[in-house]
Amino acid sequence: MLSAEIDLKEMDCLIKEIKAKTERLVEISGGMQCVDRNCDRILASLKMLEINVCDLQDILE
Amino acid sequence: MEIKSSGRYWNPVLETLPREQLKEMQFKKFKRILEWGYNKSKMYRRIYDAAGFEPGDVKSWDDIFSVPTLQKEDYRGAQAKDPWPYGDSLCVPLEKVTEYHQTSGTTGQPVYQPDTWQDWEWWSESWAYILWAQGFRNTDRVFIPFGYNVFVAYWAGHYACEKIGCEVVPGGILNTEERLLKIQELRATALMATPTYVLSMADTCKRVLGKEAKDLTVRRILCAGEPGASVPTTKKRMEEAWGAKVFDHVGATEIGGWGYECLAQPGGLHPNEALFLVELVDLDTGKPIEEPNRSGKIVITAFDRFAQPCIRFDSKDVSMWGESCSCGRSFRLLKGGIHGRVDHITKVKGVLFSPVAVEEVVRGLPQFGDEYELVVSKKGDVDVITLKVELLPQAGVTPEEIQPELERQLRLKTNLAYKIEFHPFGSLPRYEVKARRFKDLRHT
Repeated sequence: MLSAEIDLKEMDCLIKEIKAKTERLVEISGGMQCVDRNCDRILASLKMLEINVCDLQDILE
Repeated sequence: MEIKSSGRYWNPVLETLPREQLKEMQFKKFKRILEWGYNKSKMYRRIYDAAGFEPGDVKSWDDIFSVPTLQKEDYRGAQAKDPWPYGDSLCVPLEKVTEYHQTSGTTGQPVYQPDTWQDWEWWSESWAYILWAQGFRNTDRVFIPFGYNVFVAYWAGHYACEKIGCEVVPGGILNTEERLLKIQELRATALMATPTYVLSMADTCKRVLGKEAKDLTVRRILCAGEPGASVPTTKKRMEEAWGAKVFDHVGATEIGGWGYECLAQPGGLHPNEALFLVELVDLDTGKPIEEPNRSGKIVITAFDRFAQPCIRFDSKDVSMWGESCSCGRSFRLLKGGIHGRVDHITKVKGVLFSPVAVEEVVRGLPQFGDEYELVVSKKGDVDVITLKVELLPQAGVTPEEIQPELERQLRLKTNLAYKIEFHPFGSLPRYEVKARRFKDLRHT
């Protein structure tokens, strides 16, 4: 198995950026279902990243 | 902070987090879901208000244990009303719900389980921890011989396999013979089923296909639904029949997939303490148990499930804490997995009796078939336990010859005497999913 160093802080920042951009997409979609529904799925996956990465930030800092 | 990833863990940070930090994170997450349940669900508010409790009362770790527990009956009482069918237990607008499942209804009216797409992602995430810990990888072709119906069973296992990159073969409505032929044809490398069905498939393979299951290509089996994969003698039977490693896991519709056996196979299950708060409480007093080797009941909170939260849910599963495991996870260990359910662990002749102990004895004697049945009844004022067993055709012993050894081992294991009934091989009921081998007729 490969071994690599993990930069949780950088990952946390990127996850927040992707979330903000996804939410922005929904804001400007004009209600296009093909955008809103796919964004909904992206946000659900982002929540899993939050659970796995972001929720740890306060604890580890 | 520098952390190394080795590929051994699904989440190398959370799974190896020092206990103090893990506890700190759990406390924060517990408070968050508690606030959510109280503010969004009339059911939780009703239960907490009736107990004179509010989320602000939880100021320290020990305060968690004063939060009222949730019973299956609470869900039942809140459901079957608008918004149909989830009623007051629902915490999100109905249009956000994308998944419906329900409990089997073994103990009464089934509990309806709504999940949003995010909750459903979370379900497969909790299963991804399980599968990864058991060595499932993207090189596996996983056969799932499950009915794909209203019961959650292996649905999340299916989605989690996809998430970790396995190739999934849905065994759907095929019968057992067709499933075995498909496993053979596709050279499936892994399987998920209840211990009962794993043994039954191996039996069908021999009887109908004329070959041993171990001659197929399955080398990894995940079990769920019954404690069998944590019962050493049942695990051994399955591993020998299939020539595969067999792993246990535990979950429930209302909770999620909350515990798993890891590759180290330490004789127990790790609760996934990154996603769940798993408490062991005294059966009589409800007080937390922290020390190893003392039986208690499991009470669980799922931190990140929001449509119908699970906060201090009384799972009725019985287990005990064990020592640490060599796998490197900081998650604790439930020794021997799930020992049974509170509703099954009962006093017989004044002695605490667990049917799982009988399974361990019967399946430890190679002369007996996999099936057995236990019936507790009353003769006058005296409890009588009848154990029905089948001798294998090739057992090479008579009932009279083997009975004393069976009785001796049962007495050693359970401190009880049994009325033994020998039945012709193949005559006791066979089960495809969860078996119902224990019947208590004393109160009927």
